[in-house]
Amino acid sequence: MSSAAASSPVPGGFGLRRALMRNRGALIAAVVLAILLFVVDWISAGPLTYFDVSFLSSGGATSALAAIGQTIVILSGGFDLSAGAVISLVNAVMASSMDPMAPGASIILWTAVGIGVGMAVGAFNGFFIAVLRMQPIVVTLSTMFILQGVTLLVMDKPGGFVSPDLGTFYLGDAITGWLPMPLVVIGVVLLAWFWLKGTRFGTALYAVGSDPESAAAVGINVVLVRFAVYVIAGGCYGLAGVFISAQTGSGDPLVGNPLLLSMFAAVVVGGTRLGGGQGGPVGSVFGAFILMIVVNILLVLNVSAYYATIAEGTILVLAALAGSISHASVLAVQLRAARARLAAWRAGILPSQLERVDRRLKIAEPAHGQRSPASPRPAFHLRNAETLRYALPAYVCLLLIVVVTQIWLGRAILNPGYWNSLLVLSSFLAVLALGQGTVILTGGLDLSVPWTIGISGIILAGMVNGSDAALVYALPVVLVMACAIGFANGFGIVYLGISPIVMTLATNGILQGCALLYSQGTPAGFSSPMLRWVMTAKLAGLLTPIVLLMVVFVVAAVLLLGRTPFGRRVYGIGNGLRAARLSGIGVERTLILVYMLSAVCAAVVGIMLTGFSGQASLGMGDDYLLPSIAVVVVGGALITGGRGHYLGMLGGVLLLTALQMLLAGTTLPYATRAILYGLVVLGAVMALRERRLQ
Amino acid sequence: MGIGSKVRRLALLAGMAACAFGLSAAQAAEKHKIFLSMSYIGNDWQAEAANMVKAMAAHKSLADKVDLQVQVAGPNAQRQIQQINAMVQSGAEAIVVYPISPTALNQVVKNACDKGVKVFAYDAEITEPCAYNVHIDQLEAGRVTAEWLVKKLNGKGNIIAITGVPGTSVDDQRTKAAKEVFAKYPDIKIVGEAVGMWSQAVARTELSKILATRNWDDINGLWMQVGCFTANSMQLEAGKKTSELLPCAGEGSNGGRIQMLPEGTEVEGAAPPYAPAGAQRISYASPPYSGALALKLAVEAIEGKDVPKTTILPLPVVTNETIKLCDEGTWAEMKAGCNAFKPSLVSNPGWFASIFSDQTPEVGLAAALVGQPEE
Repeated sequence: MSSAAASSPVPGGFGLRRALMRNRGALIAAVVLAILLFVVDWISAGPLTYFDVSFLSSGGATSALAAIGQTIVILSGGFDLSAGAVISLVNAVMASSMDPMAPGASIILWTAVGIGVGMAVGAFNGFFIAVLRMQPIVVTLSTMFILQGVTLLVMDKPGGFVSPDLGTFYLGDAITGWLPMPLVVIGVVLLAWFWLKGTRFGTALYAVGSDPESAAAVGINVVLVRFAVYVIAGGCYGLAGVFISAQTGSGDPLVGNPLLLSMFAAVVVGGTRLGGGQGGPVGSVFGAFILMIVVNILLVLNVSAYYATIAEGTILVLAALAGSISHASVLAVQLRAARARLAAWRAGILPSQLERVDRRLKIAEPAHGQRSPASPRPAFHLRNAETLRYALPAYVCLLLIVVVTQIWLGRAILNPGYWNSLLVLSSFLAVLALGQGTVILTGGLDLSVPWTIGISGIILAGMVNGSDAALVYALPVVLVMACAIGFANGFGIVYLGISPIVMTLATNGILQGCALLYSQGTPAGFSSPMLRWVMTAKLAGLLTPIVLLMVVFVVAAVLLLGRTPFGRRVYGIGNGLRAARLSGIGVERTLILVYMLSAVCAAVVGIMLTGFSGQASLGMGDDYLLPSIAVVVVGGALITGGRGHYLGMLGGVLLLTALQMLLAGTTLPYATRAILYGLVVLGAVMALRERRLQ
Repeated sequence: MGIGSKVRRLALLAGMAACAFGLSAAQAAEKHKIFLSMSYIGNDWQAEAANMVKAMAAHKSLADKVDLQVQVAGPNAQRQIQQINAMVQSGAEAIVVYPISPTALNQVVKNACDKGVKVFAYDAEITEPCAYNVHIDQLEAGRVTAEWLVKKLNGKGNIIAITGVPGTSVDDQRTKAAKEVFAKYPDIKIVGEAVGMWSQAVARTELSKILATRNWDDINGLWMQVGCFTANSMQLEAGKKTSELLPCAGEGSNGGRIQMLPEGTEVEGAAPPYAPAGAQRISYASPPYSGALALKLAVEAIEGKDVPKTTILPLPVVTNETIKLCDEGTWAEMKAGCNAFKPSLVSNPGWFASIFSDQTPEVGLAAALVGQPEE
């Protein structure tokens, strides 16, 4: 239900109901928040006072403001990973440039500075996304790396000074005892949004998010709308940065980074659909506060530390489920379908119960089954033109990086050790790329990768404990567990209708809790000699065994996605869910298999990392989430699904690993490396630009 | 799940919580209500520190006095701010906190102090003057280890530096102090530097990247915040003999400590590379007992004793001259000078072995492993 459709003339008398339906997501989020507030009030010692409300409002304000910006981007069909980094940058800029000696600080001036910095970053994003037509996820990912570097250049450690005047203003009361200022700030931003939504620009924004080509066809300047969206969103992150500066009274170059994932969760819990066109910032504000109030609920319930992430994940899923309760929700549809199937089965009219008759269309076969000489098989580069266009840039850049490494550090091209290290270090991401890549091909995203890796490694190391014989049963156990994790993800997404981001984010939290409970905080056990041999030995002094296994893996992966019915179904679903369903693809079963594949790949990486390091540690998968997404996109896949080739993703893996090896070999400071990394990724995907809209 | 059952479930949960709360409220009449606000618990150090705090609270000297609630804020400073606020609201007498940021919590901590709540930060620091801080001198850690390495190399050689989490005060201070030392010796050259994130696993990937374009033979020494155990293991894998291991200044992981023991020492449960190798090491740590000590000091502060605002812990330093294997790992045994634990007791080589303090006889090895206090 896009707003474009809703604005078509409808007979009168349904105005209120229509308005309710249109804002259902936000309304349900508001109800859930109210229930949670009520729960907190009910089970905590005293009644909920104005002070509690004031604290809550200031606690959730930063996420809420940032979530508003993120929602606008998502409404336009985009995605912004640089939001957290913008908040850190604004905080660092403000804290390092305010003068502690100055008698007072101008609130208007500094707010403008913060918003201005955010908008400038937004314009940078907007330029590459709107004007150069590059994929939002990869542009904003590069921006994130660049900003993290810039932030560390501005401020290399926590410190600095933010005038208390800002804190007094932003955290104070608008009406003493009645209305806290943070709510007013959020309210003002929302009012501005409502005004904007009513303008032609607002209509254009929803239209672009729903269907950019139709929007262009009716004369909307898509480029301008997209550009403006990122600038506006940047302003929102900037304001969030100002708010957190006021709240903390100082600077910390890392303060905004962890806000990123919860921001997406807030948007989705608030009823906005990823992919654009539906939802709005009001719901996201409620979503942000729902996520914040969980902290208080955990505290009042005295949930033990190890269970905290499990409880959070469960609450996230319940909130998302509550948001989807309706006649039209996926869960309800699935239940009705199941009932219909049962009835059909009783009546004996299920297709599988009917007598099979070949009803296929008869197509005249070419003579002798041979191609007619008039239409020769086109040349390889023509048949695969599309794949080559998107997969080649990664390999070209890889070549450049290797040449630069040779010139700068020496010992690369002719050094077998260099190539061996490159392939061994790439192997982890190469495996992850298959899982994450397949999920992305269907238009989803798997955020449960980090702790699927973690828990797999920990359980494997604990069971194996240095014995090769134990591998025989430990490996199957871990892989079966991974299948179960993937099944849970897929089940939640397919049958409960929970968005992939929320479902896998919740699973990740639950798995983290399980890993902590299982290991009691101290993972026991270590890898067996054989596993270590596979990951670290050198055959003939040159070649690590895992490299040979990787060759087999890559061949298998290419065949799986390119030559099997499963692979074709994956591409089918990514290109159009409805078309796939109508053409008889078992969408549910395929999607569940896709998430199982992703979990199994993550588990394999957990096993490989355990062999590589010799033991498993908590958090060992944490560094693999964003890279697993980055390599897929750098390799030419489309984040919205349907396009991409595994060999392209492999190119992305090799490129990013080679780049990291080059940077690690230098003694450049970390900040410079982060900036270079971001710039190279950005440069590498320049060639992946979308073709101009006709 | 229908709405009805969800409501019932919530009500049930809430009812249970209300019961639990009623109980603890009754006990709180005699007990001090103390909260522990942890950061991210997804790594070995944090989990170990949490175990030690819990053990301290369970020790017979404190069990009757302390009602400890442990909460996790995750890596997000904003949530920790809100968590501390909520703790103050629910009547905390003291809050022991692992601060996610040394500065971001200042205002909320000041607010807590104004309401008479004692706030104790462990391991990392809170810059707000009213907070109590319990940590080591990070500058000293960087300086002492760098000086040791320079001395081992006779002031000459190529070294690799693996740092911590960029953008944190701890990493900044350690790295700066060490580089100041290295700068005094023009013949010491840092030929490779990487971000190790205080993780053995990351240290391995980063070292592998560096060594793709370098040989172990070009390197004379290693200065790491975490990762000496890994670096030594990698050298052994690369075919070096134990006598050829490079001098390494780094963290106090138990794996690293065991490698420091003279080669051939009988150690129960040891298997290479988690085995004695006579590795040349200086092993230091930000000790995980700091949280337990902070809790003990918090109780003293509540009871009106005079507690200094800043407690600088002595830097735990172990070298090949002072390394000694523990038998069981009781506090008394550690007091007598042992500082490494058998792999049969501590199977994770990345586990942090600097758990001894003169001031915390309540906690020993069992505390750090499973949260069990000493007798």
